[in-house]
Amino acid sequence: MLDDATPIFTQIAERLADEIADGGISEGERVPSTNELATYYRINPATAAKGVNVLIDDGLLEKRRGIGMFVAAGARDRLLEDRRMRFAERYVEPLVAEANRLGLDGDELIDLVRQSSHAFGALER
Amino acid sequence: MTPAISLTGVSRRYRDQLALDGIDLVIDGPSITGLLGRNGAGKTTLLRIIAAHEFASAGRIAVLGADPVENDAVLARIAFVREDQAFPQFRVRHALEAASSFFPNWDAELAGELAADFELPMNRWVSKLSRGMRSALSVVIGLAARAEVTLFDEPYAGLDAVARGVFYDRLLADYAEHPRVVMLSSHLIDEVSGLLERVVMLDRGRIVLDAAADEVRGAFTRVSGAAEAVEEFVAGRAVLERRRIASQEAAVVAGGLDDGDRPWAQELRVSLEPLSLQQVLIHTSAHAGRQRKEGTSA
Amino acid sequence: MSSSIKVARYHLVYPFLLVLAPWAVLALVFVINLIPTVIQGGPNPTKALASIFAFMAFAGVLTIIRSLPFALALGASRRSFYLGTVTLVVALAVVYGLAIAGLQALERATGGWGVSMYFFQPQYILTGAWYLTWLTSFVCLVLLFLYGTWFGLVQQRWDTIGLIVFVFGQVVVALVAIFIIGGNHDWHGVGHFFTTITAAGLTGLLAAFAAALCAGGFALIRGVTV
Repeated sequence: MLDDATPIFTQIAERLADEIADGGISEGERVPSTNELATYYRINPATAAKGVNVLIDDGLLEKRRGIGMFVAAGARDRLLEDRRMRFAERYVEPLVAEANRLGLDGDELIDLVRQSSHAFGALER
Repeated sequence: MTPAISLTGVSRRYRDQLALDGIDLVIDGPSITGLLGRNGAGKTTLLRIIAAHEFASAGRIAVLGADPVENDAVLARIAFVREDQAFPQFRVRHALEAASSFFPNWDAELAGELAADFELPMNRWVSKLSRGMRSALSVVIGLAARAEVTLFDEPYAGLDAVARGVFYDRLLADYAEHPRVVMLSSHLIDEVSGLLERVVMLDRGRIVLDAAADEVRGAFTRVSGAAEAVEEFVAGRAVLERRRIASQEAAVVAGGLDDGDRPWAQELRVSLEPLSLQQVLIHTSAHAGRQRKEGTSA
Repeated sequence: MSSSIKVARYHLVYPFLLVLAPWAVLALVFVINLIPTVIQGGPNPTKALASIFAFMAFAGVLTIIRSLPFALALGASRRSFYLGTVTLVVALAVVYGLAIAGLQALERATGGWGVSMYFFQPQYILTGAWYLTWLTSFVCLVLLFLYGTWFGLVQQRWDTIGLIVFVFGQVVVALVAIFIIGGNHDWHGVGHFFTTITAAGLTGLLAAFAAALCAGGFALIRGVTV
């Protein structure tokens, strides 16, 4: 389930963030406790807690004493905004670099993107 | 606050062999520490000395603030689980009953649940149990004891993969509810990797690595691709290993990757693969071996 | 709860070596001696009572080899194990000695179980009053158990080689004693000693020897690793 590329606690934080961004856990809903996460991923509870704390520090989760941790208001929007900002760097730049290597120019690239988008849209429906 | 375990300059010499050489180790409080290393590295000796089953030839040991040797008060708070435990003429339920009177935190309900998880037959003679079942019995005792210091010396070597999974799950679940100092020695490093907060690695009786597990994971990276590209990428870095075949090369470098590395790797068309905990330890061990041969100290 | 008491309770969880087996062995030996006596008719002055005493030595060895390792794993210290075990054995020996004295009385009363089998009063030994039988049996049971523990302790500390040295050493000492006594033509003296010493005196000597074995065993166990 977890890989060796990044520290485990970072992966825990990212997966929780993904779930929130995808709408799997709604705002105001409780997220799994550190013990539940530790059991599920078969990791040390301290590591799970570290991952959760990353999201708490970023203001995406809020802790309610004695009850658990909940998705903060506006968390989803903030995560999507964050992703939009990094979209260019993470996806567009490598795409353009590879296209360059293959000798595709800007227009050919845009055509390809459009085709792909249509195909994706068809899948969605 | 007094550390839970404190070893200073601990050595153990047998007639012609130095099993442990100047071990300094401090474990402050509840945590899960992995004790890793090759066969004969000294893991078992170290655990046995902490549990006062063995005596150190030199150095000081303190467990829960006091020397554990012949110290009933401290020994009651330590559980030591080994794979090849000798039992008297007992049935399984006798062994559990005996354990219950020795450990002050013994949880009989937990013991029953664990025995059921491992499918241990309560009325069978321990001597008639298979190797795996006997390991399971030792594990059940070690977990249900809820001892403040719990030491596992490869007790799962006799357990099959399913039983090992049960062990990890149950250990984590109980540890989460009742934190304690756990030390776990293992060969099956990648299996236990996620459980560990800290990693201590022994090589020929010495500690060659003592770090947080997170730091160790991904501490080394394998860079592979066309030889020239790889060489360009690894220029200026500490290279631990190089392998070549035809025009391809794979090199292992130390040090983590920063944000600039991935794009550059893409540009050079080399692939980056962080090494798993097990692979990091294999390299650390090999490195220690090389240093020994060169005559420099670890 | 004191650690020594924990150890005593530990042995009693399933007291195979210290309770069940010794009496099972004795019962078996008794029956084995009884059958031919009944068939051929008595008197049958057997020395087979020695079996329970010999077994106590065996129990001593196995207690160290099998019971000690698990007790250490459960967190008993070596000292507590030794003290708790010896205390339990002494207590059991008091009861067993009484049982032997009682069975001896019963044997006398029934004329050797109706077939003139003298199992509980071997010739020349245990021929005194019931309380002397009790005392002597008690001392011998404890003594042999402690003697057995020495074999176990030596083996655990110094392995098979140590055990061989231990056995060989005793043989050498015995041979030397025989040589010295024989050299001084002192066999009469030895015989005289054994006929003049009272049963109580001999028992006292054995008790002193047991105490020495106990002290020595206590010192030995501190260095044992399992």
